[in-house]
Amino acid sequence: MSDIAHEAPVAHHEEHESTGIDNRKLGMWIFLSSEFLFFGALITNYLLYSNRAGFEGIYPAAIYDIPFTSVSSFVLLMSSLTMVLAHNALSRGDQDGTRTWLFATAALGSVFLAGQVFEFTEFIVEYDMTLATNPAASAFYVLTGFHGTHVAIGVIMLLSLWGISRRQGSLSERHGMNLELVGLYWHFVDIIWIVIFTVVYLLSVPPG
Amino acid sequence: MSAEHHTHPTPAQYWKIAVVLAVLTAIEVAMFYIDRELGLGSLNALILITLALLKFVIVVGWYMHLRFEKPMLNRFFTAGFVLAISLYLVVLASLGVVVIRGG
Repeated sequence: MSDIAHEAPVAHHEEHESTGIDNRKLGMWIFLSSEFLFFGALITNYLLYSNRAGFEGIYPAAIYDIPFTSVSSFVLLMSSLTMVLAHNALSRGDQDGTRTWLFATAALGSVFLAGQVFEFTEFIVEYDMTLATNPAASAFYVLTGFHGTHVAIGVIMLLSLWGISRRQGSLSERHGMNLELVGLYWHFVDIIWIVIFTVVYLLSVPPG
Repeated sequence: MSAEHHTHPTPAQYWKIAVVLAVLTAIEVAMFYIDRELGLGSLNALILITLALLKFVIVVGWYMHLRFEKPMLNRFFTAGFVLAISLYLVVLASLGVVVIRGG
């Protein structure tokens, strides 16, 4: 990549350097900023309905399992550590370490997802709280479900990079940038959960 | 690849940051139960939001390396984030939603 960037007088690459930031990285930051607005809308929607009295059926805040969700939050938080260790290992040229930490990150993400599936199943089976129970339940499932979808997409991207690394024996410079972009996405998913855990789980109070 | 990489934390520092994040999470959970017992109300909300914000800044700054990036990217992200939060706070306030409930 670097020899193309330095030798070829292509307009693309001059534009690429005009901000001093790699265009792909800048694009990822812009994408993540738009995602803030997306999740901001969903969190606002939850806050609008979570405490509103008068709905039939159970409210999500009445049945949260805080110890369980705390463990899930801890698992996702630690996956940010393994992600950044994968990135660090690649920058040192440690391909084995990169693969190990990438896999660990995907595994921790999968554990978080399994926890979410368990939580949803428990809410539906034990408490009969479905997507259609009331607007508060609907807002809860949409918000946490979309976050879970983002985690699942992240796990797929991590496993793809891990698979490429295993097949090729190492990650190239291009794939190195891909790892950095996937890392940014993964940390974003983590910081969104930091907000959800506090606002939705720890601060929510059912009406009455 | 670039000069930025020289200033990135070491693996040992990443582990230390993880310990700080874990401790902050433990304090958050402890605050949830303390509030149940003592009914701290708005004070609990203030502490929890501050802790979440602290965790947020640590992950964005160190794990996402924003504090080691070019100032333009830092300003772009911070301004966008503050604007987004302001927008949603205005929406919540205009709809009369009580976000923080007293114990």
